[in-house]
Amino acid sequence: MNQSMISAAVTMGQLQHKLDTISNNMANSTTNGYKRREAQFSDILFQQINSEALNPTEAGRLTPNGIRLGSGARVSSTALSLEAGTLQQTGRLLDVALTQPSFYFQISGVDNNGNVTQQFTRDGAFYLSPSANNANVMELVTSEGNKVMGVDGPITIPADHSKITIGQNGQVSVTLNNGAIVESGQLAIVNMVRPQLMLSVGQNLQAPQDIPLNQLIEEVNAGAGNFVQQGALESSNVNISTEMTEMIQTQRSYQFNARSLTIADQMMGLVNGLR
Amino acid sequence: MLRGFYNAAAGMLAQQRKQEILTNNMANANTPGYKADNASLRTFPTMLLQHMGETEMNGKKLPNNYPIGPAALSTGVYVQETTPNFLQGDMRETGIKTDMALLQGQVPLDPETGKPGGLFFRLNVNGEERYTRNGHFSVDAEGSLVTPEGYYVLGTDGNPITVRSDNFTVNKDGTVIDNGAVAGQIDVAHITNPNNLVKEGSGLFRLDGNGNAPSALGNPNITYNVQQGFVERSNVNTEQTMTEMLTAYRAFEANQKVLQAYDRTMEKASNEIGRIG
Repeated sequence: MNQSMISAAVTMGQLQHKLDTISNNMANSTTNGYKRREAQFSDILFQQINSEALNPTEAGRLTPNGIRLGSGARVSSTALSLEAGTLQQTGRLLDVALTQPSFYFQISGVDNNGNVTQQFTRDGAFYLSPSANNANVMELVTSEGNKVMGVDGPITIPADHSKITIGQNGQVSVTLNNGAIVESGQLAIVNMVRPQLMLSVGQNLQAPQDIPLNQLIEEVNAGAGNFVQQGALESSNVNISTEMTEMIQTQRSYQFNARSLTIADQMMGLVNGLR
Repeated sequence: MLRGFYNAAAGMLAQQRKQEILTNNMANANTPGYKADNASLRTFPTMLLQHMGETEMNGKKLPNNYPIGPAALSTGVYVQETTPNFLQGDMRETGIKTDMALLQGQVPLDPETGKPGGLFFRLNVNGEERYTRNGHFSVDAEGSLVTPEGYYVLGTDGNPITVRSDNFTVNKDGTVIDNGAVAGQIDVAHITNPNNLVKEGSGLFRLDGNGNAPSALGNPNITYNVQQGFVERSNVNTEQTMTEMLTAYRAFEANQKVLQAYDRTMEKASNEIGRIG
């Protein structure tokens, strides 16, 4: 069997994965807080073919005996790029951006089995939702309605408020209609120390999988430093022109491999045409 | 028997194998740290053709033999070896802090071959040393710097490099600064003759024979840079590879034509010689 055909076909399939990654990046170029992924390749399986049995002493030989033949390339990983996106001023009080690249908001999400799990996002476009249990308070939620976690549980805000202020350290202060100022908790912010081991679960959320949470994140010391900006959103870190260049390049690679396959096919045709 | 029959068949097989090697190069045109393979062809061992006959001497017939022709005959060709081309690849910025590219500077020439040596990252693969130029690393759950396959990247002390988070800096000499403190120094192995390296897939190279390569650190004649946030691109030249593929294809075709010519000769021999009427 002609090995070229297998190598070329395998590689074309893997290049398709890279194209998928690029398409997804481009599709999310306007998603707040989206981090691009980059597909990287690795060569696969070299097989050793010993052909020197004919002549064990080949004069002028440079490399160890035999020849080593690879069988194409595969996507070895799609690494998450944590580069910060640009901050866009929105002026909306419930829009919050994180200014440190590896910091994430903590969200109380629901996994596929319906269990409540800790999930993380960089998308700081939050909303208020009436609480199911208490008509006097509202909950701070994401656009999907998941509760935003504070250091001491989900953040709740009195319903009769006139203004919400989120400090640079994540402290949420609420001005009530009567002019009084009350503290409504502190946004739970984590430092993602192993971002590559988190699973992207859709809806702009990252969730841990199979690995204990304390190995993946570090709690950020509440109230220390300034890493939160109110009235701004972080745009995605996708650079359309870079993605476009990558896409064209990947497409060309795809063509090159398709050409390898065609050539291999024509060679088989020649063999068929021997007689 | 027509020896050329097998000659042409061997030519076709050799060109097909060359095509496989070129296809693999083309497939790895996007693989970081990949080094293109060059196929070199070699003739089969030559043989002398002997004429067996007899001479008459004093009325008696004596057997004798003598070589035919001035040159020895070879009956084929095969791909003798695949030599990786260890030229430096281009740098490509990825913006990912765990990506590292090795930029080779001054490396002393190997006294045996007269060619410069190679510099590689040192890896621990199930307890054995392997070398790679693919600097696309990541940090595992224990905080060790690993390849995508999970093999440890070794520091100068022979141990994996452990960091607190992905947010670390790497100096030009490979020193890893994590959280303001030195977490280790990425070791760079100096292979005096890179042709002794055996490709194992996943960007890994094994040093043929016993023993591990010495470190490039502390060698005053070696200069290099470790570039964080970059990967070294594959050094496959796609234009050249495509040209070689077309050439190999045509050589394959030419051999096929020769084979057909032999076949027609045989056809004549079997069907036309001695035909009556």
